[in-house]
Amino acid sequence: MYLLGILGRRVLQIMATVLLVAVLVFTLMHLLPGDPAQVMLGDRGSTAAIAQLHHDLGLDRSIPVQFWEFLRRIATLNLGESVTMRIPVTQLIVERLPITLLLTTMAALLALLIAVPLAFVAALRQGGWADAVIRGISQLSLSMPVFYIGLILLITLAAGLRWFPVGGIGSGFAQDIYYLFLPGLTLALSLSAILLRNLRSSLIEVLHAEFVGFATAKGLRRRVVLGRHVLRNASISTVTLLGLNISSLVGGAVITETVFGIPGAGRLMVDSIFSRDYAVVQGLTMVLCVLVSVVFLAVDALQALLDPRVAT
Amino acid sequence: MQRRTFLAVTLMSTMGGPARAATRGGTLVYGRQTDCIYLDPVNTAQNADIWVSLNLYDTLTQPTDDGKSVVPGLASSWEVSPDGKTMTFRLQPNLKFADGSPLTADDVKWSLERAADKATGGQFQFLLASIAGVDAPGDGTVVLRLSHPDPTMLQALATFNAGIVPSKLIMAEPGATLDDKSKSFAQHPVGSGPFTLKSWNRNSEMVMTRNPHYWKQGADGQPLPYLDAIRYVIIPDDATRILKLKAGEIDAAEFIPYSRVTELKADPRLNMVLFSAAQVHYFTINNRPTLKDGTKNPFSDALVRQALNYATDKQALIQVVTYGIGTPEQSFMPMSTPLSYGTGPLYPYDLNKAKALLAQSDWAHGFEITLYTIAGNVDDVAKATALQQMWAPLGVRLKVEQMESATRIAHYNSADFQMLTSLWTNDINDPNEITSLFCYYPTIQNRHSGWDDPVLDKLFLDSQQELDPVKRAAQYREIQERYFARAPIIFGYEVPYPVAMAKKVKDFVQIPLGNNLFASTYLSS
Repeated sequence: MYLLGILGRRVLQIMATVLLVAVLVFTLMHLLPGDPAQVMLGDRGSTAAIAQLHHDLGLDRSIPVQFWEFLRRIATLNLGESVTMRIPVTQLIVERLPITLLLTTMAALLALLIAVPLAFVAALRQGGWADAVIRGISQLSLSMPVFYIGLILLITLAAGLRWFPVGGIGSGFAQDIYYLFLPGLTLALSLSAILLRNLRSSLIEVLHAEFVGFATAKGLRRRVVLGRHVLRNASISTVTLLGLNISSLVGGAVITETVFGIPGAGRLMVDSIFSRDYAVVQGLTMVLCVLVSVVFLAVDALQALLDPRVAT
Repeated sequence: MQRRTFLAVTLMSTMGGPARAATRGGTLVYGRQTDCIYLDPVNTAQNADIWVSLNLYDTLTQPTDDGKSVVPGLASSWEVSPDGKTMTFRLQPNLKFADGSPLTADDVKWSLERAADKATGGQFQFLLASIAGVDAPGDGTVVLRLSHPDPTMLQALATFNAGIVPSKLIMAEPGATLDDKSKSFAQHPVGSGPFTLKSWNRNSEMVMTRNPHYWKQGADGQPLPYLDAIRYVIIPDDATRILKLKAGEIDAAEFIPYSRVTELKADPRLNMVLFSAAQVHYFTINNRPTLKDGTKNPFSDALVRQALNYATDKQALIQVVTYGIGTPEQSFMPMSTPLSYGTGPLYPYDLNKAKALLAQSDWAHGFEITLYTIAGNVDDVAKATALQQMWAPLGVRLKVEQMESATRIAHYNSADFQMLTSLWTNDINDPNEITSLFCYYPTIQNRHSGWDDPVLDKLFLDSQQELDPVKRAAQYREIQERYFARAPIIFGYEVPYPVAMAKKVKDFVQIPLGNNLFASTYLSS
């Protein structure tokens, strides 16, 4: 019951955040110098042509009127029409967002698959050579920029060994997974390094805790001790860290999608900002904002499950 | 007999040699940097759309591969009345759109009237502005009534925005207005070009299959095109696009960075081709006596402009920016433009001459110039740093301000700048478009430079109605000579379009305007 109350409060918080983001996005886009009519007409735009396009795009109306229209459209889930592609923004987002979601989900899973076993090895062999090697590699992958990791993986695993296709996406879910493996790995590497370092130190801390010594003394098998007691307690801060980093995964997806030629939401965002496609930028930001908020909500719920103290 | 001639840029490698039998069938996978946005011939201004448009929408006349003249397209022949104001076209027999429905003179009338009308013709309406009306008297005849004699009309009809569309299909689309109907049509277009759109997954891939009703015949006497399909794959990152080509996942890749041309030329599996482009890179300068902030502007003095042109080593710029691929400008217009006139590189590098000219001006003591470049553009950085060094001996300090593209355009349109990096690509195979923007003040104040020459304004207007090709050529020679002498820009260089292809890809053409022509392309077995 109490948990539901917390969740209810969180949902209200999310709605307030979304509204705030709506105001920010609208203001920032309109504060940017350079207007879409000029960008679209480029060199050839005469003053009359620019004025006409302004009118067509509704940009000649006052800012409050435009803002009101914007809010009204969001409330009715109508995100408007892209001024460059001339198709509904919702259609664009529905086409492009799933790829980005799949990419970030894969990246998060791969990061966990890499981080958790390695963190265990490092923590159990603390100070040994395995620990040193793992920490060294994680340091390296943290310090390499995403586009560089991406290119290295492309050159070696895709173009060189031909294990993977060189960028792009396939058709159908199974092919998508295959095509998105390398970009997912690219995104996962730096995140896995962050998670690994955090999980390793939490594990070491928990391994030395009295209740672990007690559980071992009670005669519990080592697997049970490590799985049920050590990992659960050590993962609380790692889950928080993972949740916080989901938004940076979305940011990293922008670069990864460009390097790997993936037609996802990240690239849509960048293209739309450059062409001053207000409706697309605003719509996409709102959708991403809601999604990230939902992830935060899920992280909170997960934390409450892992650590009963949070919910009380 | 299929013969292709390219206007060779110095480094261009050969594609074909003697004509040989083309192989039919197969799918060509073409790696593009950007995807199409909007597939309506009149309602787009994006290169990504324009470059593929002629494959979907055929035109009355078609451009030759070198861009200098036209050959019959949907129209098999034409004649011009003595007063130059009536043009009569005879259509090829039994023309069909890709869906099998007949292409009639009424479709031509409808398409050209839409493209020539200011309200519906989009941004390139001005190319067809002299069309006062189109008649379809029957019997496969189309008559163009012109408001004045127009020497550019045959080339204008070969340009993408004069593509013929199926009027009945567009009018059957949902929507209340023509704009709504066109918008709906552009999502699943049908034309009469050699290919037709099969599927389009935005920003991922676009598939065009051969149009079985295309009228033109190949070297084997069968209808073109040779290919079964073209699959365009969108790969924005240059390095990835090249990797995909090397891995054999795609057959061709556009926009090869100039830095990698030499490397790809050495690859025995690839054909690295530099197609002659109607593209010039130069610097726009503000010629007004004072800048927007009220300061006095040295560029208003022709001596200063000439001096800085002499102090600009174009060959060095080409080395630094395009790795030696390119040629110094010989005119303000690309040399592939019909009626271009040039006798050699303009203002060849001569520091002593530059110093002498500057000494005669009021600005002998040196001054500061602010150059706006596009933020994050590596070419712009190379250009700016090279110019800083070249101009320093004259006492000219070049200050560089990086700007995001949209902001820079706003500065440009409001003439609030001193100097900009610029590039221009022709949209029509005629000198009139570039001249109207560079030399005819009323259009956009000569590219917002504020420089005005009434003699050029008049010459341009006269040339727009001059039907005698010899006289028109003389007018354009005078325009270019006057422009060159007054130096209202800092002249730069021309560059080609670099496309890398697997060896098996034959007879792909990119014309100087940029249009990709696949009608005669084939994959050798």
